[in-house]
Amino acid sequence: MVKKSALHSVHEKLGATFTEFCGFEMPLQFSSVKEEHLCVRRRVGVFDVSHMSNLLITGKDAARLISLTTLEDAGKIGIGRSQYTALCREDGTVIDDTIFMHLSDDLFMMIPNAGMNEIVCNWLTKKASEYDLTDVEIEDVSRDYVILAVQGPDALSTLQKLTETDLSQIKFFGCQEIVVSGVTCYISYTGYTGEKGFELQIKKEEGKKVFSEILKAGEEFSIRPIGLGARDTLRLEKSFILAGNEFEGGKTPLEATMGWAINWDHEFIGKEALVREKEKGGYHRLTNMVCKGKGIPRHGCRILKDGQEVGTVTSGTLSPCLGVGIAMGYAHPEHRKPGDSLEIEVRGKTIEAEVVKPPIVPKDWAENHPVQ
Amino acid sequence: MADEVRDGLKYSDSHEWVKVDGDVAIVGITDHAQKELTDIVFVEFPDVGKQMNRGDELCVVESVKSVSETYAPVSGEIVEVNEALEDAPESINSSPYDDGWLVKIKMADASEVEELMDAEAYKEKF
Repeated sequence: MVKKSALHSVHEKLGATFTEFCGFEMPLQFSSVKEEHLCVRRRVGVFDVSHMSNLLITGKDAARLISLTTLEDAGKIGIGRSQYTALCREDGTVIDDTIFMHLSDDLFMMIPNAGMNEIVCNWLTKKASEYDLTDVEIEDVSRDYVILAVQGPDALSTLQKLTETDLSQIKFFGCQEIVVSGVTCYISYTGYTGEKGFELQIKKEEGKKVFSEILKAGEEFSIRPIGLGARDTLRLEKSFILAGNEFEGGKTPLEATMGWAINWDHEFIGKEALVREKEKGGYHRLTNMVCKGKGIPRHGCRILKDGQEVGTVTSGTLSPCLGVGIAMGYAHPEHRKPGDSLEIEVRGKTIEAEVVKPPIVPKDWAENHPVQ
Repeated sequence: MADEVRDGLKYSDSHEWVKVDGDVAIVGITDHAQKELTDIVFVEFPDVGKQMNRGDELCVVESVKSVSETYAPVSGEIVEVNEALEDAPESINSSPYDDGWLVKIKMADASEVEELMDAEAYKEKF
């Protein structure tokens, strides 16, 4: 049975075309993917991402459990801070990437991907028991929350109209309780678009109210509601991982170029395997590419070097900003230096592509490409 | 808004339309089809001069999210492709029956057109 967001009827009224994603019926687009995409890059957009999961992790052992099961030492993440990380299996492969927020003493909220709430909840529960962490409770509250993301250069100005809290004081990856439009919720200076912005965790009953207030407040900035179509093009342009694509088939954080997120100074499940992999080296790594020729790379396309297969595309699309095909994929370590030429095979033909350093689209793109 | 189905055209089961112009069939996709695809960003054409059989893969039409095949509603030779779509693929969305035409086929057997649906039949079926 397909689940719907609490805001489904609102999206219908706004004229959304829907799509199914991880068991949820969500808006794919409201007007056009390109328009929504550029709106976020240049102005501001609001996303309903309630299909994502919410887990509350509470108790004196909460930090220990998170440290044990993720790449991060949660003891280093103080109250009011959040961290992007991954949960790994014993063999070092990623179960899910996620953000966890340290909201207050012994209270964390973790945001696994859509459809992963049960798996992650069960994993945490199992490991807590296995490792004798008794003072911790893991609660799946995904059904109770609406999650909204407000992203873009005018995101702060939009949200500031709805709250007394000085949003400019919230640090990057900071998180806290806040009152927005009279509704108490959690806010974090995080996002999946590469633009400045915030994400709000709101109790379901208040979701519609906050969403419509955000649209109203954003009117002066030409805000738009944004669908999953643009969410995907926005994240891919910034080389952000989509778990279902980039971790498919079992990938480690080292392979996914998440090594920067590994805090090696603590014990965590999967650490031994990763230490071994790091020593051994030679593994395919996530690589970012921009097409030089016409065509759009897609998931599963082979990556070639002089006709030899050197990798596979995991995510591909037409970049609304660049107007050419872009892709992320795993490539042999010898063929992924920025500037290297590769070929991507699409339906029997090859497209020339160039390896680039992430992010595929630079930070100041909107500044350098104002509307004509 | 209801899908536009234009009178005077013929329609295939796979949502292509045909406009007969002498011995040439102009082919495109219907309003219904372009709506399903959402914004089209890329079209891959067959080579001009290629011989097609009815039912062969004609063009590949790509949206941001998906890749879709279109099929030749009639047999014949590709005599022209709509090159304007290279720079403006979204014309298929905004004008599926006019500016968004895909290819022109010089028909090998004009009677094949009779086997396609007329506007009423297409409307009824979909």
